[in-house]
Amino acid sequence: MSITRRQALKSASAAVLATTIAKPAIAAKDPILIGYLPALTGPSSSTGIGINRGVQLAVQEINNAGGVDGRQIELIVRDTQSDPTKAVNGAAELTRGQKVNFVFGPVNSGEALAVVPMLARINVPQLHPCWVDTLADPTKYPLCFRNGPTNQQIGGAANRYVVETMKLKKVAVISDTTGYGTASVVAYVPMLKAIGADVVYQAHVDASNPDVKPEMLRMQAAGAEAVMPWSVNAGFLSRLINTRGQMGWDVPIVGQTTLGSGQTKALLDKPEHWAKVYPNNFRPCCYDATGKLPERTKVFVDRVRAAKIDMNDTLLWWIALGYDSPMLVADAIKHVGTEPEKIVGYLNQLKGFPGVYGDIAFTPEQHNGYPDRQIVMVEANSLKDGAFNMAPGYGAA
Amino acid sequence: MVQSIVLSGLAIGCIYALIGITYNVMFSASRVFSFTAGTLGMIGGVLGSLFILRMGMPIPIGFLLALAGGALLGLVTEIVAVRPVLKSLDQHLYVLSTLALALMVQQFTAIEWSTEAQPFPRLLGTARSAFDEQFWLPMLACLAVIVGLELLYRHTLIGRAFLAIAEDTYAARALGLPERSLRMTSFALAGAIGALAGFAGGEMLLAFFGNAPLLTFYGFVPVALGGMGNNRGAVVAGLLLGLFQQSANFLVGGIFASVAVFTVFIIVLLARPEGLAGAALQRRV
Repeated sequence: MSITRRQALKSASAAVLATTIAKPAIAAKDPILIGYLPALTGPSSSTGIGINRGVQLAVQEINNAGGVDGRQIELIVRDTQSDPTKAVNGAAELTRGQKVNFVFGPVNSGEALAVVPMLARINVPQLHPCWVDTLADPTKYPLCFRNGPTNQQIGGAANRYVVETMKLKKVAVISDTTGYGTASVVAYVPMLKAIGADVVYQAHVDASNPDVKPEMLRMQAAGAEAVMPWSVNAGFLSRLINTRGQMGWDVPIVGQTTLGSGQTKALLDKPEHWAKVYPNNFRPCCYDATGKLPERTKVFVDRVRAAKIDMNDTLLWWIALGYDSPMLVADAIKHVGTEPEKIVGYLNQLKGFPGVYGDIAFTPEQHNGYPDRQIVMVEANSLKDGAFNMAPGYGAA
Repeated sequence: MVQSIVLSGLAIGCIYALIGITYNVMFSASRVFSFTAGTLGMIGGVLGSLFILRMGMPIPIGFLLALAGGALLGLVTEIVAVRPVLKSLDQHLYVLSTLALALMVQQFTAIEWSTEAQPFPRLLGTARSAFDEQFWLPMLACLAVIVGLELLYRHTLIGRAFLAIAEDTYAARALGLPERSLRMTSFALAGAIGALAGFAGGEMLLAFFGNAPLLTFYGFVPVALGGMGNNRGAVVAGLLLGLFQQSANFLVGGIFASVAVFTVFIIVLLARPEGLAGAALQRRV
């Protein structure tokens, strides 16, 4: 039997129609693909490993509870290896090859600086927690949202703690010679002056110099009542802390989270040198004056412990941030589905998403979702189970 | 303040001088400036911390193993990065080959050890004081190397053979000296001296892969200022460099201290291209 061209076209049309009709029913069962770009290896991996524990827990909880409207979340992970080039390659593969519905990450600013402009051209919504100020801009990157603080917020919290809480006016601000360090000093000195501080000393210091005593002596001679170093170099920060101890100078050191890291602690001559060192942290992940975590965080920590997730070698806020991120993505998809425009529209109106790491809110004009009031300073020497005591002077939340 | 400048300046100057000697010992045996000298210093600190702190070995054993590790890396330098380019010294290929090896070792250390500075053990455990062991240990190491090399070069047959090779390789070979074996021994010796610099200075510099470029650059300054191949010149120039650097740290501070060091370095080289203690190069016509 021969088949005419008209019959063939009819058959083809019927097949196409059948496929098209059946598609929504199948799509509803398809997993939701979330691309995920952590640094699980390489020099910046300590953050990524901590965040990853929270991400995996969240995805496991969502899927165990039946997924999002019956659809499981499938996390497609590409380890950036702390390398911006690999992060870009991973992002391209996730979006063009895997066709993910959403991207979470990268989780380090250096990688995000390379990935965010690239994803902005591909029409895939993105969430990241990186601090560099320019990494969230609704005009340039309308699909990109930040659920962490900006550097301005971090510096602002430290500045307010020194000037308004500790009532210290004469401040020394120093950094290493990295881009992060120099940019921080340039940004934070005017902020300090704007709230009434007298910046008596500012300098960029060669972090490889083994002797920082000259810098400390100059700061002391300038009358500094607080020292604010901006660096992620644990060797440099520990030398400052050790030298302060050897000089017997009782000045508080206030600044970046690395001041409270395990790497900094390992390089201290004496544990007591860590007293009066106040790094940044986040109120929902800190012990209050009575030594307790906020109720929401306490419940979360119990779930983390039940899941046998190790908290001793990482920080609670990393795990909490990782946990909140897939939860936020799932919340958006649950409300509006996986269309990029609808997700962006939903996030643009998000008000007070109740995260463990913090309450997140966005507007069409403001894609920086982390609130100022939740950024605090903590006592570096109080680390226990990944969390710190808030520094003296903070009241209840 | 003067005490701080002198103590830390002399200590860091001794480390630079030892790295300068490392350059010179390798140069004398091969006419090659091996830019692995700073890496050898870095590896001494890292291996010291690895053996003593991480693996819990007694300090003397850790010390000897760190020196052995440096000597081994010195040998690898000779075999991998120097020997293949000896026939084309005039093309200066050794700059690339030794820098490449130095970078490979540095990156390997970063990946396998840590990208963060790691603690170095308190070697003698003395109470901390103004004249702390972290300052006088590098001075002691520098003194031991100077005396040791003088004894080796002036009073032993093998030392004289080293000098013969350094003076005229072809003539020494014509006299039957085993040039290759002597060159390899020199590189092993240089490796051990470099590792000693990093080990003795470990309490100041910490066990950090990033010390390699620092020592490579600052260790080269005494060689250039003191005259290439001139150990005495390297020691004097290293000590002056350390003192000047610390004085600049105290007087101008911040990144300007490094600028001051290199400004003086360039001015000295413009005035005396052969170095402060070097002889003017004569060309046979």
